[in-house]
Amino acid sequence: MASALFSNLKYSDSLTLVGISVSTAIVCEAISWLLIYRTASYKSLKSTIDKASKKLETMKTTGSNNPPSNILKSKTKKIDRVETSLKESSRDLSLFKFKSGAVVAVVLFMVFGLLNSLFEGMAVAKIPFVPIRLVQKMSHRGLHGNDMTDCSMTFLYLLCSISIRTNLQKFLGFSPPRGAAGAGLFPMPDPKSN
Amino acid sequence: MRERKSVKFNLQQQHQQEDQNGHLSPFKLANLFDPDASWDKDQLGDILHWIRQALALICGLLWGAIPLVGGIWFLLFVVLSSGIIYGYYALILKVDEEDFGGHGALLQEGLFASVSLFLLAWILVYSLAHF
Repeated sequence: MASALFSNLKYSDSLTLVGISVSTAIVCEAISWLLIYRTASYKSLKSTIDKASKKLETMKTTGSNNPPSNILKSKTKKIDRVETSLKESSRDLSLFKFKSGAVVAVVLFMVFGLLNSLFEGMAVAKIPFVPIRLVQKMSHRGLHGNDMTDCSMTFLYLLCSISIRTNLQKFLGFSPPRGAAGAGLFPMPDPKSN
Repeated sequence: MRERKSVKFNLQQQHQQEDQNGHLSPFKLANLFDPDASWDKDQLGDILHWIRQALALICGLLWGAIPLVGGIWFLLFVVLSSGIIYGYYALILKVDEEDFGGHGALLQEGLFASVSLFLLAWILVYSLAHF
């Protein structure tokens, strides 16, 4: 009965796509854990970044309003030292994850190729609005016709990747530390584990 | 009017609470609505992130089921979710946003993921329920 219902849905392919995205996200995080997150180097770097960023915040928020100039100079130097140390640790973390992330990148590439072969030229869903022209290049990629509310595999897969992987990383505690450089605006799924 | 309270950084307490994965241990649910609770930056950021995701999922399912059609409903979601987040940390928790990096830092917690999740839920429900 479930399979009959499934096959009657016009856009049932979207569920297949979501299922594959979820599975891929789990596999990628498992690989990332194996190669990155369980290693002593990663834990050490993450701990260093966490401590440095917290120390930096404390240094920036504490202190009197009008300190003498020599104390202010000394404090500024200390803050600069901690900031430099934080940037170096963030860079080391990025480099470390980049090297190990190549495997995950290969998996993602293969999955995308598979999805492309399965759903090329097919509208897998319907978008409930007409996207802006810039987004249409992706949402209508490879589709025929002029109906811009047809949704291509690429766009839906992108949405799945961002939402599912970001939240999975967050849930598992694999998100980059907030103090790390580049972990601010619009946090994407950790690119170095892609 | 209650004064905005400053955050209390208690590094020793944080170290004691951290488990092996670096997560902070679960706090009491009552703290979510307690203006007197003291917040760590990471804890508050995580809470705001998950609230945004929940709002995205609920709105996406709702918008898709009704269905609501048109780009204006996307903008409405962004405004609504941001308004709820602002209301939560400014009016319910009454935190001093300066201690957390300002309004921008708090409002952007989980924004991108929530927009993606909202669009995904909206598109899926709309496509499956109405075609």
